[in-house]
Amino acid sequence: MYSRVSMRAWSLTSPPGNFPHISNPRQDTLLWSTKHVLIMTTKTGDQGPPQDLASHADIKSSAKSAPPPETPAAVQTRFRVIAAFWAVIIFLGFPIWWKTTSIYRASLPIEEMVDWADGKACRPVFPLDIHLAAPSMQLAEAQHLLRTTQHTLDDLNEFAAHHLRLKLANDSTTSYGESDLGTDVSGEVADTALTVRLLPQEDLVGPRSELHAAATQLDVFYPPNQVPAPSSSNSPISKFIAEELQGLYGEEKATIAHILSGHTAGLASTSPQLAEDISRRLRRSMKYAETYHLSFSLFTPGSMPSSWDIEAAVKEYVSPLLKALSPISDFTVDTQVQLYANFAPTAPKPEFDEAEAAWTLRKEDLSAFVNAAEWPLNPSIGSGPTINFILYVPEPSQSPLIVKENRASSWIVPQWGGVFLLNPTLSTDKTSESNPAHLSRDALGPAFMTFSHQLLTLLGTPSTPASLPLRLQTSIRIRAATLLLSASSTMGSLARLTESLPSIPIPATVATSVSTTISHLGSTCSNLREGRFGAALASARVAETEAERSFFEKSMVGQVYFPDEHKVAVYLPLLGPIGVPLVVGLLKEVKRIIAGRKAKRAAAS
Amino acid sequence: MALLSRFLQAFALLFLVIAVSAEHTSNWAVLVSTSRFWFNYRHLANVLSLYRTVKRLGIPDSQIILMLPDDMACNPRNAFPGTVYSNADRAVDLYGDNIEVDYRGYEVTVENFIRLLTDRLDEDVPRSKRLGSDAGSNVLVYMTGHGGDQFLKFQDAEEIGAWDLADAFGQMWEKKRYHELLFMIDTCQANTMYTHFYSPNIVATGSSEIDQSSYSHHADNDVGVAVIDRWTYYVLEFLETQVTSVTSKLNLGDLFDSYDESKIHSQPGVRWDLFPGGEQEGRLRTVVDFFGNVQNVEVENANATEPGSLKEDLAEIARLVEKWQKRDEEYADVLSARNTTDDSPTASLHLKPKGRVGPTKMAEDGSWGKRLVGITVVGACTAIWIAGSVLGRKSV
Repeated sequence: MYSRVSMRAWSLTSPPGNFPHISNPRQDTLLWSTKHVLIMTTKTGDQGPPQDLASHADIKSSAKSAPPPETPAAVQTRFRVIAAFWAVIIFLGFPIWWKTTSIYRASLPIEEMVDWADGKACRPVFPLDIHLAAPSMQLAEAQHLLRTTQHTLDDLNEFAAHHLRLKLANDSTTSYGESDLGTDVSGEVADTALTVRLLPQEDLVGPRSELHAAATQLDVFYPPNQVPAPSSSNSPISKFIAEELQGLYGEEKATIAHILSGHTAGLASTSPQLAEDISRRLRRSMKYAETYHLSFSLFTPGSMPSSWDIEAAVKEYVSPLLKALSPISDFTVDTQVQLYANFAPTAPKPEFDEAEAAWTLRKEDLSAFVNAAEWPLNPSIGSGPTINFILYVPEPSQSPLIVKENRASSWIVPQWGGVFLLNPTLSTDKTSESNPAHLSRDALGPAFMTFSHQLLTLLGTPSTPASLPLRLQTSIRIRAATLLLSASSTMGSLARLTESLPSIPIPATVATSVSTTISHLGSTCSNLREGRFGAALASARVAETEAERSFFEKSMVGQVYFPDEHKVAVYLPLLGPIGVPLVVGLLKEVKRIIAGRKAKRAAAS
Repeated sequence: MALLSRFLQAFALLFLVIAVSAEHTSNWAVLVSTSRFWFNYRHLANVLSLYRTVKRLGIPDSQIILMLPDDMACNPRNAFPGTVYSNADRAVDLYGDNIEVDYRGYEVTVENFIRLLTDRLDEDVPRSKRLGSDAGSNVLVYMTGHGGDQFLKFQDAEEIGAWDLADAFGQMWEKKRYHELLFMIDTCQANTMYTHFYSPNIVATGSSEIDQSSYSHHADNDVGVAVIDRWTYYVLEFLETQVTSVTSKLNLGDLFDSYDESKIHSQPGVRWDLFPGGEQEGRLRTVVDFFGNVQNVEVENANATEPGSLKEDLAEIARLVEKWQKRDEEYADVLSARNTTDDSPTASLHLKPKGRVGPTKMAEDGSWGKRLVGITVVGACTAIWIAGSVLGRKSV
């Protein structure tokens, strides 16, 4: 009986006005009618519309008792209850669900970012200003020489993005070599890459040049009788100067072409030897960082030497270079002394070479020289990469220690640092010989000069021309080009990431960083175009830092990916039991209202 | 003739380009075990065995990220405290005396793993816990644990889906965080884990097909649990017996050909299609390209004189040093000149040396105010409590 009742109750949920069982009282037994009453009382909410009252009357007549007609107040209350539920769902539940499950994605200038990555936003050019100073020439002569030289240069140049612009130097601006790198970060004028001084010299057959090693200056000596006549279109001097300049900037040009072309191919004229050199240098140089940590370590297998004059050595041999490099990166220096530092047990031992009268290490074993497992070398300080410089003082019994192949005492580990084997003069005791207890500044000289050289190499400084200021300038331009490209490609990566991973959040800070990056990229590009390389590098550094920050934003971790079926599985048990009564209640109420309207209209007509 | 030489040059350049693109500059290894508890001893042993192998082949600890979710060596149930063995003969103690675990215990989570791969870590996370790979790095990713169809369980608490892993590698590729990547996974239905990968230059291999289990190899009765999984065991057998040194020329093809289904008891899989050149090209990569470490040390020739060589540079640096010394001297002269003419009006502009910044005392002011507020709050609460109890008694 109970089961039948419940079954009835279910059937009653079918639309009102359609009560097949109820409208056929003939089938009903007494049992049924009582049951029916029971149903009707429990389901007072299912009162049919007014025109059904007739059938209700039938029921009343057939059954002893019937539910009292619903009062309008009750209908009203029920309506309010359902409306209240739905109001909570729509105005409170839904917004909360939306808010808590939605992922905040700041809008990014996707197209602009992709343009930068594709190189459409900026075509980097490197116009180098070269000042021509000809103190002993007539102005007209000098201008003519300038024109012809420029013409020859342009003819020789095959890589349009990198070109040399000759300018006649005023006498007032002949303060060459004052600032170390010839760069002016804030200035409005273009940096002077090089000053060419034309000096007449008797008893010369042809022109001759001399590059200042410590300044950005090239002296060209020429026989006075070779000064080109204003009528001639070509002259040996202009040709000589053009070729000289071409030679000076050949490697830089090839390197920049190599970088801009995405490490695929350089210029056609680049010799394979040079191309190999360039790609090797780019491979071994450290990845660019805002700050590098230089770590100088003294390792020795015994107890001596236990102290070194490191502060003076760093100040004397390393600081000047660091100051010169300061436009490119910042550097921090830390040092350590590690005694009783042994080789790794698996590392090959040095062998004694009779011919050399020295202990030797084979070249192929050098990679196992540094006992990375036990020597405390990779201090986790700060965020920048560490460049390690190891000064190794061998045991007295294994001194002197050199590399077998070429008697070298130092080597570079690409992207890691450098090693120098220091063989100090042993102090012979009565019984045995021992290393000195203290290494003086002078004893450290060769080692620290070598470290400086290794630092230059590891930072990717080009090897030509033979003037350090010029090389550092070149390295500024190369770094600016590299950073411009890398920040641009990061922008592209971020844009593609944003589009391909819709579930990843993008906080507002990323949008800010992106806009900073793009504006700095723009200023890098315009600075490059106007030949202000120092300023270009400065803004490229900001662009790179911001680009990295935006890409590696900590909160941009697409936590866990859920396939759609998982989502259904999560929501269904929760929403099913709640949703069904709510939806059914709503439907019924809507039906009642519609039916009520119809009845009203029928009553009116 | 000129044409021929031009052609030769172009050919040489092309060859160079190929040679360059095939080269990598560093090696990184990410070795992950994902399961906890004593009965999962074998998963930690798997990972530690791989750790020993890559270390033997030269990858330094700073370039190995080792994730161990549990500490089997110090587990109270371990009959051999302080050791982990991957073989019943207990010949090699994997825990040894030199091991650097980067992520341990509850640090091994899906989130940390994905953060590690994509480098989305806090600024204060030390470098030893970061994957510092770049566009020239070959990365080995080895994972083991309990998994299922397209997921791998982490720590019995969460799981990483094949999609998440694919997206993480995708992001690594976008940011040029690897040159080539070898993905290895030993778990049940392992091959489903790499089905969603989409970024190029990945070779993936797993221990078992969908709906297959990966089995353990053997148990050590004294340790009391299985000590290693089958697939890892045979991979290691290959690596330890045949790849004896970093100069080994054996390639990935040889490694994958060594899979023997009758021994492994499941069907290992390999995925080549993401690798440029597909299987043909991928098979030629040597095993040590991923398990070893490249370090092309450059010895400096002390006698060379070409530009950029040691000698040239030393001379230039010496000049630079000299120049700075001169400048310092000049500066010192200027300073001393200034000091002597101290009464000049410009002296007032001269910057005074800043006083040493010592530790400052915490500000005293406000502390009494705070105390007062505290006393008031406590007093008010007490008053309310007393009042409440008095009133309550009255009403009763």
